[in-house]
Amino acid sequence: MVQRHSRREFLKITGVAAGGLALAACSSGTSSPAASAGASAPAGSAPAGGSINFLTWSDHFGEAALAAVKEQTGISVNVSELADNIDGFNKLSQVKGQLDLVSGDALWVPKYYDAGLVETIDINSFEVAKQLYPMAREFDFWTKPDGYLAYPWGWSPIQVVYNPKYVTGSPDSWEVMIDPKYAGKVVMENQPTDIMLFAGIATGAKDIYNMTDAELKTAQDWLRKLKPNVYKLVQQNNETVSALASEEAWLGTQNLGAPDRVKDAGGPEVVAMIPKEGTTGFIDGEMTVKEGANKALIKPYLEAAAQAEWVAQNFLDNGRPLLNEKAYKLLVDGGNQDKADRYLYNQPELALKMRLKGPAGNTDAYVSAFNEVFGG
Amino acid sequence: MTAQAGGPVPGLPAEAHAGSRGAALGRLWPFGPAAAVLLFLFFIPLAIVFVYSFWTVQNLQLIPTWTLQNYLKFFQTDTYIRTFLKTIIMAVLVTAAGIGMAFPFAYFLARYVSTRWQRVLLLAVIIPFWSSYLVRVYAWQAILGEKGALNWLLMQVGLISEPLTIFLYNDVGVFIVLTYVYFPFAALSLYSSLEKFDFTQLTAAQDLGATPLRAMRRILLPQVRPGFITAMIFVFIPIIGEYLTPTLVGGTKGVLIGNLIVNFYRGGAFPAMAAASFIIAAFIILLLVLFRRYLQLDDVVTKL
Repeated sequence: MVQRHSRREFLKITGVAAGGLALAACSSGTSSPAASAGASAPAGSAPAGGSINFLTWSDHFGEAALAAVKEQTGISVNVSELADNIDGFNKLSQVKGQLDLVSGDALWVPKYYDAGLVETIDINSFEVAKQLYPMAREFDFWTKPDGYLAYPWGWSPIQVVYNPKYVTGSPDSWEVMIDPKYAGKVVMENQPTDIMLFAGIATGAKDIYNMTDAELKTAQDWLRKLKPNVYKLVQQNNETVSALASEEAWLGTQNLGAPDRVKDAGGPEVVAMIPKEGTTGFIDGEMTVKEGANKALIKPYLEAAAQAEWVAQNFLDNGRPLLNEKAYKLLVDGGNQDKADRYLYNQPELALKMRLKGPAGNTDAYVSAFNEVFGG
Repeated sequence: MTAQAGGPVPGLPAEAHAGSRGAALGRLWPFGPAAAVLLFLFFIPLAIVFVYSFWTVQNLQLIPTWTLQNYLKFFQTDTYIRTFLKTIIMAVLVTAAGIGMAFPFAYFLARYVSTRWQRVLLLAVIIPFWSSYLVRVYAWQAILGEKGALNWLLMQVGLISEPLTIFLYNDVGVFIVLTYVYFPFAALSLYSSLEKFDFTQLTAAQDLGATPLRAMRRILLPQVRPGFITAMIFVFIPIIGEYLTPTLVGGTKGVLIGNLIVNFYRGGAFPAMAAASFIIAAFIILLLVLFRRYLQLDDVVTKL
């Protein structure tokens, strides 16, 4: 039997449903009284709890650290994961004040600042910053007349990682990535601009961020040789580790510490090398969003979360050099000097010898060149 | 004569016409929420994409200088055209395979299975939707991979001695997974048409001398046409914009146009991204217009 409703009944039903939805939407909103209280608190004062919205990579925080920070300061952190620098830049450009803290690499950081998305901090006013290597408070590319652009976190060169069981002859060049012997055995992260930068380095481009048309063409030809070898472009760093661990891939690109990560994932011995032509690398940090609604909470958050104890634990969990010197000392005291030194934790000056990651001058041309090769 | 909703009735005074217009408008208000969704979540974003597609980008900032360059570049670049055509071919093949598998299933279900068991089997078709799309596609990596379940099975039954790499990270993998993902859409669309079909018509046609095939072609297919068209719309069109499946199981050989669009985004090439997206949207709208010619509104209404 078909049940018929009058218009009045229908209005009543839809009205109740709409009211319910509206109530549900209000109760699930991101603004809480605590957050509002925190947002209005002056920088540096003891916060009354609240939450910050943090767009970052998965290795910039630990669940235990976040829980401890919450207990200690009342600040909870809503983490959104970041794919790469351009992803962060695009997202922040769109949502602006809905984020409070964003991670970025080396020369990308000034790009955010120039675009009016982030603001400087007074790095020396942070008590926890005294734990950093002094050089980390003085990177010239992060220094502006009105302050410092980011709170420093870690660094690493991008290395070529290979499985010596299959990749023979101790390669020392990017050329190994295009060797036809390794067809379908290379894995890389799907970062078109970064892959174009590797191609630029491999083919001897003068300025990899501003390649000429001829250099772009040469880099593109190199990509054409690379493509048959790359069986998959992955979305996240940890997928490269899985591919190397399962031996699905014999070659890949990774941050420092890949051999341990692959082994921890149950994989074989792999070797990491910096190609003789050079590589890119990152020095990353956390930037304060200019329009962030809860930016008053950032300082107390970092004062708690960037403490040496948590940084040392983060190093043990994720394995790449960080810029907190006190954490290195804790690692040495805790019997982890060998690992820390193998990961160059004690040589932060090497970070400045890399070609630092940054945006290309003409990203449109770079991504077009990449797409023309990696299209179907 | 029956007056059409909202239309003037000859011979009635002007006030009566105004009254009938008011009544017609009154009957239209339930379309309001859907119209708002369509306006704010489809037409306005599409208009923004359209405008962006004529702009340029410099230092990751959009520059509102009008140019056709993004469209010209798309149509002048072999890779983009090739990838777009490949995407269309993939969509055609998956739609054909999906409907090819779904039709016998839905026919069997509607004609020979009791109502109680129909519910059980339909539930079985819908069950995959209880897990996320991402999880289902990841699961296929474990099935189709070199060390996956399929290779294991083929080796166990002695069909192969070495694992095959042809199932994953290529077009074959994309085809298999897309067919799996979109099969339920085809099956449900066809079933909803077939379950209303009076199968005694087929018996009557055969009694009058038609072969089973002829009876199916002349009696069944015309009546379940809306189900086929709906299945085509639900399968073909989403595949044109597919991104996740080719990303996870296509590797560098199974790239579809959606992947190139994401690469444009990841390179900050927003106008190129907008132009490619609009070309796809225009293609889909064109298809829908064509489909509409074959899909009478009455067909849909009577099937509801």
